[in-house]
Amino acid sequence: MTTATPHVHPRQEVPSDDPRVQLDEAVGVFEPIPPYPPRTERESEFYTLGDGEMYINMGPQHPSTHGVLRIVLKLDGEQVVDLDPVLGYLHRGVEKLCENADYHHTIAYLDPLEYISSLFCEWPGVLAFEKLLDVEVPRRAEYIRVLSTELNRILSHSLFMGWMALDLGGLTPILWSFIERDEIAEMLAALTGQRLLFNYLRIGGVNGDLNHEFLSRLGDWMSRATHQIENNLGLLNQNEIFVRRMRGLGVLDKETAFRMAVTGPNLRASGVPLDFRRAHPYSVFTELEFDIPTRDEGDCLARYLVRIDEIKQSLRIIDQCLHNMPDGPIMAKLPRLLRPRPGRAYAAVEGPRGQYAAYVVSDGTDQPFRMRIHDPSFVHLQSVGVLMPGHLIADAMAVMASLDPIMGGVDK
Amino acid sequence: MARSFSRLTLAGKILFTIFPILLVLTGGLIVVIVVAGKPIVDFLATNIWLVRFVVAATAVLLMSVPSAFLIIYMEMKVIALMNLRIGPDRVGPFGSLLSVVHGLKVLMKEDFSPTGADRLVFTLAPIAVFMATIMSLLVLPFAPGLFGVDMNIGLLYLFAVSGLSVVGLLMAGWSSFNKYSLLGGLRSAAQVVSYEIPLTLSVVGLLLLAGTMSLNTISTNQAGWFTNWYVFQQPLGALIFFIAATAEANRTPFDLTEADSEIVAGFATEYSGMRFGFFFFAEYVNVFVVSGLIVTLFFGGWNAPFPWPWPIALNIDPGSMGLGLLFALLIVPPLLILALAAPFYVGRSTLPWWQALIIGFVLFNLLVVVAIGGWAFISWDWVAGLFWFLGKSYLFVFTFVWMRGTLPRVRIDQLMGFAWKWLLPASLLNLFVTAAALVVVHR
Repeated sequence: MTTATPHVHPRQEVPSDDPRVQLDEAVGVFEPIPPYPPRTERESEFYTLGDGEMYINMGPQHPSTHGVLRIVLKLDGEQVVDLDPVLGYLHRGVEKLCENADYHHTIAYLDPLEYISSLFCEWPGVLAFEKLLDVEVPRRAEYIRVLSTELNRILSHSLFMGWMALDLGGLTPILWSFIERDEIAEMLAALTGQRLLFNYLRIGGVNGDLNHEFLSRLGDWMSRATHQIENNLGLLNQNEIFVRRMRGLGVLDKETAFRMAVTGPNLRASGVPLDFRRAHPYSVFTELEFDIPTRDEGDCLARYLVRIDEIKQSLRIIDQCLHNMPDGPIMAKLPRLLRPRPGRAYAAVEGPRGQYAAYVVSDGTDQPFRMRIHDPSFVHLQSVGVLMPGHLIADAMAVMASLDPIMGGVDK
Repeated sequence: MARSFSRLTLAGKILFTIFPILLVLTGGLIVVIVVAGKPIVDFLATNIWLVRFVVAATAVLLMSVPSAFLIIYMEMKVIALMNLRIGPDRVGPFGSLLSVVHGLKVLMKEDFSPTGADRLVFTLAPIAVFMATIMSLLVLPFAPGLFGVDMNIGLLYLFAVSGLSVVGLLMAGWSSFNKYSLLGGLRSAAQVVSYEIPLTLSVVGLLLLAGTMSLNTISTNQAGWFTNWYVFQQPLGALIFFIAATAEANRTPFDLTEADSEIVAGFATEYSGMRFGFFFFAEYVNVFVVSGLIVTLFFGGWNAPFPWPWPIALNIDPGSMGLGLLFALLIVPPLLILALAAPFYVGRSTLPWWQALIIGFVLFNLLVVVAIGGWAFISWDWVAGLFWFLGKSYLFVFTFVWMRGTLPRVRIDQLMGFAWKWLLPASLLNLFVTAAALVVVHR
């Protein structure tokens, strides 16, 4: 016999003799406690309040969760004791959609995974398909890919600088960094035809050749890029309040970083010079010269500074690409309908946030049998659970901003 | 009747509502004056402070909203220019009427209170905050003879009243039934209580020098050259006061109470409509009060930076001109308009003559305004005082806006540590040094 207790959500019929639903007081409308009894040990631990603690729902409409992330924070005063991230507000089922699209069509689904660095989402998928098909990509196409993605990396990093400052309460840097972003977006729009979701890479090459407008915009920007970025940085790097808040905050040591499978600038800020462009070279990165900036501190300031150094390295790579750009076709000769051999392929690239990877299983038809997308934002968001507890709310925001997750990639 | 009223346009509705009310009020006033005019006038004549108080309170209330509008516009425009944006540019010249429209929007929005809120406290909180701010305007000396009340404990009153606003913020945070608001309210309580102490201690040295708490006397003490300003005798005190006042007014980098990236506007999260408007106005009026207070205490108040007035006397007696005055009034304006319009008409061949005349008319009016303003500035010292006071105050308002455009926010423990570990010892040091210096000088 079952009766609904007043403590439990009315739709949920729970036996009243269950000891786990005997809560001390009625659950209010706005309590973040789920309407069901705790299902795991972890859940029951989290949803048990200690003395003087309270829950607070951060998101999904909170201004500084970088999208629609929801985190239930357990607070003691202003200090974060524990947290429970709730994902899935932006879930679109990209992996499933890809299974019902042909190989060319898949790129358009991969593209909006991360709306800040779209080219990096396309790249691993395209690389994996090329491995399945055994396609030789023309060298000019490879150079154009590197050129456009490095521009996208600068775009992403310059936005990161602004967001970082915005989450610390600074108003101006976000708008200054949007100037940079806008110039690059215009540039890439001239190349690809889109400002945000470029949909530019193709299996066996790229969609369009370099054109006059792109090159003139790029040359114009390159002549003042270094100066302009330095200028923007002055507002933050020489700001005592900013540096004091970031230094020593959210330290991610080497072991934890490995354990949490952190990649990209966040890992390099912890002192590990791992860069997939060097570790597992793809495309033409073996021919290009660049350094891998690292820092040993592993705190928010290090993560911020590593990204700034990466911008400079990206500028270097773009310079070399422009100098070494070979002539030739931009697309390999491929049939209209692609039917790769049955098999599986994995490809990973180094994006602005870390390792973007795709794992494709082909069954010989014109659609991928299974497509698994690895996104760095999702992986990095795990380490929030290690970094946030013990900090104040304000610092929790800064820690999350410094990891630079994009919810589009997290929820897929 | 109701049907005809509903057919009216909006302007007609307003007119037909206000006109009868005004008619009744005027009639009532006439009756009151006829019946009890003499005793009332006698009473007011014997108690002139009452008249003064009512007039001052009305003036302060009337003045607070436009000055808030001005500061809001200034903030929007200045920060926009610092961000390399254009900022408001739609309503009025250079978007200057945007804050007026903003105010109207706030008035017209739905004003609701959330489920579970403590309705009474929720309603009273913005009033408490607004009242505290408005009341502190009352003792601020704007110009010689232009002040609400000249209290001998003016500064004490100001600190006491502006400290009241934290009660309102706490009420708002508590009654909103929102944890973000609660955090904001508690943050503001902790912050304002901590910063009251260095704020008050930093001016004690100045009070030892001035020997009074009356803001008027402090202003008069600083007359003459700008070297007489207390900032040169109390540089450390002025610095501490500025920092603590920034925290007291909840401005960046100490705007933790309404940190939008952390606790989503803090105590104001659940407020909308005019209740939010009160918070909004109170914040900006508070910025003005704080700037005015800094100017009054440390930067000479309404005194010019150099001895004023200059030995200029404009003894214009219009009556002595006789019939010439009539001619001057009739002939000079058209001639001047023509003279001002001529260069535009001649210089720009595409300009029609009537547009040139309009330009000339506008320029003439500007000229007249400048002339009258200049004459008033020279002849009446309260105009000059107001000019200097507002000029210096808005310079500090600009500084606050500038800081908002540049600085990120500090953390709550940094904020507290700064107040207790640095500002408080520094202000005590300032007090001891000042006292010791006074003892040595007077011995």
